[in-house]
Amino acid sequence: MIWEVFRQEQRGDYHTHCGNVHAPDREMAKQFAAIQHARRKPTHSIWVVPKDEIGELDAEETSFGGVTDKSYRWAPTYKSDLDHASEVIDSEGQQAEAEKQRGDA
Amino acid sequence: MEIDTVKERAGPREFSAADEMPLEYREAATRMIEFHANSEIMGAYLERPFIREAPSIDRKLAYSAKVQDEIGHGQLLYRAAESLGVKTREEMLDDLANGKGKFLNCFHYPMKSWPETAMIAFFVDGAAMRRQATLRRTSWEPYAHAMDKVCFEEGFHVKHGESILAELMTGSKKEQEMTQEVFEMWWPRIIQFFGPTDDKSTHHDFSADVGLKTQSNDDLRNLFLREYIPKAEKYGLEIPDEPRIRQRDDGTYEVEEGDLDWDEFFTIAKNEYEPGLGQINGRKEAQKAVQWVRDTLEWENAPEGAAKPQAAD
Amino acid sequence: MAGEIESVDELDADEQEALETLLFSLADDEFVFAERYTEWQVRSPTLESDLALSNNAQDELGHARLWYDVLEDFGHEEHELVYERDPENWRHSTLVEQEFLEGDWADAILRHYLYDVAEEIRLEALEGSSYAKIAGRVEKIQDEERYHREHAESWMERLADGEGLERLQEAVDRLFPHAMTLFEPCAPVPSAEEASDDEPRAAEDVEETVVEAGFRTESLEELREEWVDTVCPYLEGLGLETPAVERVHFDEYEYEVEADVVADERGRDGSHTDAWDDLHAEFTSTYRELGRSQATKIMEKPQ
Repeated sequence: MIWEVFRQEQRGDYHTHCGNVHAPDREMAKQFAAIQHARRKPTHSIWVVPKDEIGELDAEETSFGGVTDKSYRWAPTYKSDLDHASEVIDSEGQQAEAEKQRGDA
Repeated sequence: MEIDTVKERAGPREFSAADEMPLEYREAATRMIEFHANSEIMGAYLERPFIREAPSIDRKLAYSAKVQDEIGHGQLLYRAAESLGVKTREEMLDDLANGKGKFLNCFHYPMKSWPETAMIAFFVDGAAMRRQATLRRTSWEPYAHAMDKVCFEEGFHVKHGESILAELMTGSKKEQEMTQEVFEMWWPRIIQFFGPTDDKSTHHDFSADVGLKTQSNDDLRNLFLREYIPKAEKYGLEIPDEPRIRQRDDGTYEVEEGDLDWDEFFTIAKNEYEPGLGQINGRKEAQKAVQWVRDTLEWENAPEGAAKPQAAD
Repeated sequence: MAGEIESVDELDADEQEALETLLFSLADDEFVFAERYTEWQVRSPTLESDLALSNNAQDELGHARLWYDVLEDFGHEEHELVYERDPENWRHSTLVEQEFLEGDWADAILRHYLYDVAEEIRLEALEGSSYAKIAGRVEKIQDEERYHREHAESWMERLADGEGLERLQEAVDRLFPHAMTLFEPCAPVPSAEEASDDEPRAAEDVEETVVEAGFRTESLEELREEWVDTVCPYLEGLGLETPAVERVHFDEYEYEVEADVVADERGRDGSHTDAWDDLHAEFTSTYRELGRSQATKIMEKPQ
């Protein structure tokens, strides 16, 4: 069986996909993943998931987030000259970044 | 884990489903996160009629998206609470429907007119945003992760709220007067968003000691007043005379607590305030009506072996 | 030829009227459909399905916005189109204005399915529209509609498996006649400037112009046939009864629905059900209460 491996670098981080291992069951998958994927890089935790249990949807099949103008749900769309609170500015900054990465802005 | 160890280690994102947390921590965290999740749902429920009543297509789209975000936040938060192994999402949603689930005071009040929506979308969401930003450092990791996404999305809510407020306050005399009127009605409720001052809050100490809560009610309220009083004034709103608020020498705000209706607040906190009950029951009826769908799909049935994630300590 | 007409000035009066009428039917369908679906926000069976339906409502509203924007070529503006137009001058199918009874998720899903299939077929017939702005907008709309139909079908299949079947049947019985109005010819919307003694052109004549001028490359008849041939076998495959009669010729199956199945209130001719008046009053209430004369724009004009 193939098991996909997700590694969390430090306590509190998100687990991210880092590869996979062959193993007959979950117990051995964990053991192998620990060696294959976590012996050097800083690791706080790993998850192993049977590959067959993973469903995938990709951008070929669907346009994530739609294609018509959705700028009504993005903070940078709303123009204002108010000095906003720092958390609002942060949020807007993150959204502007995401817009840029999507190629929308 | 012993409670003393929890208190020693308490720090941002320190504990996750991989840790065996003591019951006291898990119950306190569940209570806190459940309240937050319920508030998202009941806030959304209060706002939803204004998707229909929005006076333009773009405003309608924005409200639809805002309400959708709030349901999404509820989904994240119920999961973060569920991960503590004390209550399932279904149990929490049932409690919300049957009147046991608690949620933010502001959402117990009715909202009848468009200008009122700006009070929630700008001021209440503004208050919530600051609180949520501090919760990115909460000790329960799934809660902190939920806050990452919430904080990312919520800037749009506040900007959208501001846009509505700005439009009203630069609109006709009638619109300005309506807005000032609703501001006076909502202002005390908004201040009470932060709850009673620290000396009167029952759960605060423990939550702070175990890192769940990273800033006190008093601090959060001060930060809010410092940010949002100038903003309200910039848009031409007059801060009501009551509750009496004065700035201390150190810049913090002193609020005359006796000017606020704490009896009403505590009635609300027990889910005994009439309009709030109306909201709870309205939502309950709507949810009951679609119970058949949940039953059909056995949506909540966990597969074999998916026992509650936490062993009892 | 697709997209050859770039400006309404290239069209004669009858053609202009036909194009305008077509756009009204497209825009009004999407707007009213979306408006009804926002009712499910915070009231769907689960949080996840709530999010999905909200997505669809926003998509459809975005599509309405695209079509209302094209109506600006005729001098219309949103505030007048949506907030000040007489309810009897709306041209949406009576399917989309139907109320949702509390808890009627079967209706929510079935209505979505019936509408989405009609949309898909209609959009295919607009891909090659002779009017540039129509042809140019179709692809984006189609892209988003794909998810909607898949989502509706997933739900249909799961609901048809149990208690949901009975409820779906009830919804089919109630909604099918109204769905048929999607394919009725559309009467022009009287303009404020028209002389009051001018006879408006008959819907059938306007429809003829729509096809002749190539604004839509298939007739309503053809669209309806294709729709019936798609939804009836699908619904019957799930165990539902439809008003369709199956005609078999060797190995060719064709479904037909009698003309009298169509609901009395056509929508396309300005006749609507009572539900529409209430709905209209609700979504125009704030605009009227605040004495507005403009509709707030947040986003830029669609491309």
